[in-house]
This record gives sequence, structure tokens and C-alpha cells, in this order.
Amino acid sequence: MKKRIVYTVLFLILIMIIGYFCKDSAIATDFYHKNMEPSFAYPFGTDWMGRNLFFRTLRGLSISLFIGVIASTFSALIALFFGVLSVFGGKKIDTVITWWIDLMMGLPHLLLLIVLSMVVGRELKGVIFSIALTHWTSFARLIRSELLQLKEKHYIQIAKKLGKGNRYIFQKHMLPHLLPQFIVGWILLFPHAILHESSMTFLGFGLNSNQPAIGILLSESMQYLVTGRWWLAVFPGFLLVLIVLLLYCLGKDLQKYTSQK
Amino acid sequence: MKKSILYIFFIVMLFTGCNSNIKNKTEIQKTSVVVTMPITSEPEAGFNPVYGWGAGEHTHEPLIQSTLLTTTNDLEIGYDLATNYTVSEDGMTWTVIIREDAFFTDGEKVTAEDVAFTYNTCKENSSVNDFTMLDYAEAVDDTTVVFHMTRPFSVWPYTMALVGIVPEHSYTPSYGQAPIGSGKYMLKQWDKGQQVILESNPNYYGTKPKMQQVTILFMEEETSLAAAQAEQADVSYTSATYADVEIPQYHLFSVVSLDNRGMNFPTQPSETKENGIVYGNDVTSDIAIRRAINIGIDRAAIIENVLNGYGSPAYSICDNMPWYQSASQVEYDLEQAKTILQKAGWIEAEDGIRSKNGIRASFSILYPPSDTIRQAIAEAFSNEMKNLGIEAIPECVSWDIAYDLAQSQPMIWGWGAHTPMELYNIYHSQNSTENARYSPYYNKTVDTYMDEALKSTDIEKSYELWQKAQWDGTTGITQQGDIPWIWICNIDHLYFVKEGLSIPEQKIHPHGHGWSLLNNVDLWQWSITEN
Repeated sequence: MKKRIVYTVLFLILIMIIGYFCKDSAIATDFYHKNMEPSFAYPFGTDWMGRNLFFRTLRGLSISLFIGVIASTFSALIALFFGVLSVFGGKKIDTVITWWIDLMMGLPHLLLLIVLSMVVGRELKGVIFSIALTHWTSFARLIRSELLQLKEKHYIQIAKKLGKGNRYIFQKHMLPHLLPQFIVGWILLFPHAILHESSMTFLGFGLNSNQPAIGILLSESMQYLVTGRWWLAVFPGFLLVLIVLLLYCLGKDLQKYTSQK
Repeated sequence: MKKSILYIFFIVMLFTGCNSNIKNKTEIQKTSVVVTMPITSEPEAGFNPVYGWGAGEHTHEPLIQSTLLTTTNDLEIGYDLATNYTVSEDGMTWTVIIREDAFFTDGEKVTAEDVAFTYNTCKENSSVNDFTMLDYAEAVDDTTVVFHMTRPFSVWPYTMALVGIVPEHSYTPSYGQAPIGSGKYMLKQWDKGQQVILESNPNYYGTKPKMQQVTILFMEEETSLAAAQAEQADVSYTSATYADVEIPQYHLFSVVSLDNRGMNFPTQPSETKENGIVYGNDVTSDIAIRRAINIGIDRAAIIENVLNGYGSPAYSICDNMPWYQSASQVEYDLEQAKTILQKAGWIEAEDGIRSKNGIRASFSILYPPSDTIRQAIAEAFSNEMKNLGIEAIPECVSWDIAYDLAQSQPMIWGWGAHTPMELYNIYHSQNSTENARYSPYYNKTVDTYMDEALKSTDIEKSYELWQKAQWDGTTGITQQGDIPWIWICNIDHLYFVKEGLSIPEQKIHPHGHGWSLLNNVDLWQWSITEN
């Protein structure tokens, strides 16, 4: 299992690196090779401006992963902060935070994403900002309940009786327990973040059409599906699903791995 | 098992039954037609000429209302409601005589009062059209209208060919929802967001329409294609993207348009004004750059690549119009373009991009979102520019910021209307400042010719002045002149038309892929009978 985890992580890093180097070839147009079916020279075919879909897809995946890393990291940190605060901050703060989490979860997620992204001015920063700010809620709840459970454990009660402060208890006794949970939760935020980035972009509220994001590739392909150019949608869509599944499996594997210890 | 056989039998009966029903129909001449249009063609403010119906950004015949004058297939002026018009020596008063046999569909007679009322209402309320040149309209008697102008405006007949006449006695602000007019057609039904049904007006004063009923469906381009494939529409609009799709029973119908695509090139060095907007561009302000680009782009290749050949090269904003200046036309000559740049001191650097006095020949080329044609033009243009040693970076910007950004960066625009005022809007300086509206440009001679053209009392003679404004032998806006805008192509308007429907020659379509097609819908005819 350890091997599998390492391979998956290496694969994802590889995609990000390749995507980084595809920057120029992903947007290069060649009108003399447009609307080409998948072939040896163009594994994923070309679009209506003769752009190589193979490079575009890789670039798109790496953009998605990049956004996923940043947004879910921020989201996880926010979740950690609020989770810890609601447990140690006293009853009033706890009420406010749980109420706030309920409120956020009650709102339609995609709508919230779109509104937040518009506020910051769309594009990359809008997408990252809105995803980071909306994905922490259920994770924060998880951390909170985990901490509440730990708080009642005997050894922690004893440590408290011995006169140790909250900070000491948190760092020495709770954090080691929380860390595996935190990492798994953080990884499991990835698929959400990536799918939401793509759907926002697909709907036209995310990245703009200069960037070959997967959402852009898919929305561009919509126009050409009627004319039978299936490769425009199939390859980017399939790879997006693959990456999301990989990340999900990675999260699950990590979960198993850490609970085994 | 038995049951299922019964069902199959039943279903088979159902179908064969249907078929024999259709066959039994008697042969009649079909007099209705179903047409698809883009969703944006549905008039937001209703069918009210005051709020832009037929006379707004996209110009076309109002169909429901009649206009005083009309434009012919050659874009000359013809008569509709008016029987005669004259203009005073100083160009300040226009007198129009209208016909006596015109009636609104509610039975009331169309009088000069209605005409005066329409124009005065337009002047007060129109947000989409410029009526500042009109002081007021006045009905002298039942059939005579006098327009008092604030300044001479020789192209006034073109305005009179656009504004539909509304009835004074029943006009309310919500007129556009249930319009009453004296045109060829009446509005029968309007399901908002879906369709409009027009029916021919039995009391129309002119030749009765051959097509009795016109149904217009509003849909996206993909849906429009599907509608043709399912034979649900007789005429389906489409674009070069789908032009190679073959649909049985349909043929591709292409209409030449003056729906052009061109780019603005700011002619002054960049400068940030008090409002925070940057005006001008250090690269494009060099005339050598603009001249080199104009002859250095292979228009034919762009049309072939982007439009699949469904277009024609554009050299001005008004190709094929009576006011077109033939000196605008240029030949593609890459070597000559390079020589121009070399002579002007733009020297190629190691990365293949030229520079002069430390300024790199680089600018953005803007295009609006979700317009694949403009995006492709921008990309193709960018490729062409590499051959010249100029870097043009395609950039997608939404319309809310595009107008401000275009003051400093070239953008892909779409223009084309049946009036020389387009030239004025683009090249003439604005009242207060010394720059044209959409892109920094100012040339006093060009301005003067256009002012004179507007003052002229003879429209035929004014064409000559409009041409001189473009190139008078020494200055202008052509290749030898200042070339502040560069035009690339006119996009053909494409439709899938069902076999048997004959559409007579259309007058050249303006910008906008919608109602223009219906300009002569009254003359459309089915050559075969339905069986």
C-alpha cells in the first residue's frame, strides 16, 4: 500500500511538471492542422484552431492540480483554525462557529462559489479565493468532533488535573492524533476543489478562455459535439475523472494506512 | 407474450395510420415559414422603434411598422410611406409628403400627426439612436410632415428608412409588447424567450405579402442546427462552424454581408488621463507599424482558416456601399511590409520580435468572451504578425471593461450598417475632446470632409464627400493615409434553407445575424406544394 501511495503522488507531481512545460505548446495555434482526429502526431486530436489537445489537456490538468493544492491547503488551514477555536474558545464561540458552519452548508455551494469569485474579480485569484473560502466547513466540523472526543480521554483529563495548559495539551497530546486525520482530510478536499474549479470555469465564471483549463476545454467542445468531434470532450473529461479518482483513492489509502499504525 | 405482440401490432398500426393520414392531405401551396434566430435577436424592449426595434444596434426593416423611406437592394433610398421628400437649401428643414391610403391595423388612418409624434417621441426617449440632430417634427397638414433640424444632416433619409411609425392615438410606454403598425405584418403571438409569430396584414397598402405567416424561433446555434436536422425549421441560421454539416432536404444559403471584423490601432503614444484610463499605444502610434500590418496580413488565409472560406476580405468599414472609397483596397505583400518596418527603424531582435528605441513591437489583441470567430481571428492575426516580427498577444476581455481597454490596445470589433454615419462614429473626433470615440484618432481634414458631407443637401453628392473623407489624394484613413483601423473580413451570413423555399436577392446584410434575413420575407415563396 505504501508503494501505491508513493506512485500516485509521483504521478500527480509528474503531471504538474509536464503541464508546466506545456505552457506555450498548449496555446499555439496551427490553422493548417485544425479539426484533426486523434492520430500518432496528435494523440488527442486538435480543435477548431488547430491547437494540440494533448498538450492542452495536460496543461489543464496541471492548472487544476495547482489550484487544487493552493485552495485545499488554505481551506484545510481555515478548517483547522475554526475547529480548534470552537473546542478551546469557550461555549459562546463554539455556538457561533457551529451556527456559521450550518449557515454556509445550507447555501447552494456553486452559487456561493460564483458570487465570491465575482467579488474578487474572477480569473485565477477569484477561483482560488472562492474555493478556499467555501470548502472548510464539513472538515472543520470533523476536526471539532475529533477534538471533543479527545478532550474526554482519560490521559488528557489527567494531564489537565496535573495543571498543564491548553496549549501544552494540544501540542503534546492532541496534535499527534489529529495530524493523520488532517492530512487525509486535506487530500480528500482535492477532488472537490478540482471539480468545482472545472464546473465554475465550464459555466463561464472561472478562468477565462485564454487558459486551457479543463472547464474551458469542455465548454469549448460543446459547440463541436454536434458535428461529431467527440475527441474534444472525451479526452479532457476522461482524464479529469481519472485524476479525481486517483486523488480520492490516495486519500482512502492514506486513511487506511494511518489507521493501521 | 401475447400481450406484447398485441402492443407491437398496435404501435405499428399507429405509425402506418399516421402516414396514410399525411398522404391524404390535399395539395396546397404552403404560405407559412419557420425561421430560427439567435437568442440575442429577441427584442428586449419589445417591438417599439423608440427603444430600438429595427433601428438600434442592429438595423433591419421593422416589418410590423412602416417607415417613411426604405433602402433598396443597392442601398439607395426608396419610398415606403412617403411619396416625396425635399430638403431646404441650408439643410435645416426636411419636408416629407406621405401617402393617404395607409391604415394602422386597428383601422385608423396613418396621418402626418402620427409621423411627427413618432419622431418627437424618439427624440425624447431614444437611448439607442442619436436624434440630437432633430429639433422637432411638425405636422403641417394631414399628409405633410416638416422636420426642423438643429444642424444639417444629409444622411437623414437613412434615419427615415429605419424608424417605424407608431400610432399616436394608442401609444403607451408598453407599446412594444402589443404593437400596432401599418407594416406588412402584424404581431400575432409572442411567447417570450421562445417564439414570435407574425401574420400578414390584410389591409397593407402595398403589394400583399406572399408569405402569410412567419414564425421566428429563438435558439442557440447548436439547437438551430438540430432544428434543421429534425425538419422543425424551414430556415435555420448557422455559422462557418457548422457549414460543412450536410442535412438532407436542406441546402446552405449564404448572404454577402457588411458584417465586418476589424481592429482599432490607437494613433497616439500612450498617456494616462485623469479618469485612470490609458489612451494610446506606443507601438501602434507609429504609422509604419499600422501600414506594415495592413499589407502584411493575408486576409484570404484568415478567411479560409477561420471562416472556412465563407467571407470576403474587408478593406474598409463600408465595403460595397455607395460611399466606399476604392483606394482603401490593398494587396497582400509581406516583403513590402517588412521593408516598411525596416526603413522606419524597427529592427528584429534575437527572439524574432522587432524593436525601436527600446520599445518592443508588442501589443495585446483583445476579443470578447464566447465569440469563437473573433477569438480565432485574433489567434490567426497573431500568427500572421509573427512573420512580420510583431508580437500580438490574444487576450479575452469581457465587454464591461473592453471599451476602456480598447483605448490603448487593438481589439477585434464588428461593425457594418446601412448608413455612412458609421464612418463618422469611428473616425470623427468627439465634440469636446480631440479624439474619436472608440480609439484615439484625430485628423482635421477627415473631420472637415465628414462635416461637409453632413451639410450637403444632395445625398448623391454627399457620397463623394464621404469618399473624400476616406482618401482625398493627400490624406485620409487608407493605407497611404493614417490607417487608424485595419479591416480584415466581412462575414457571410449562413443559413440552412429547406428545399423548395425560394428567397429572392437580399440587400447586403448589416452587422447582426438576425432579423435582416426577413427584410424581404413578404417575397419568399414555396415552389413546391406540400403533399
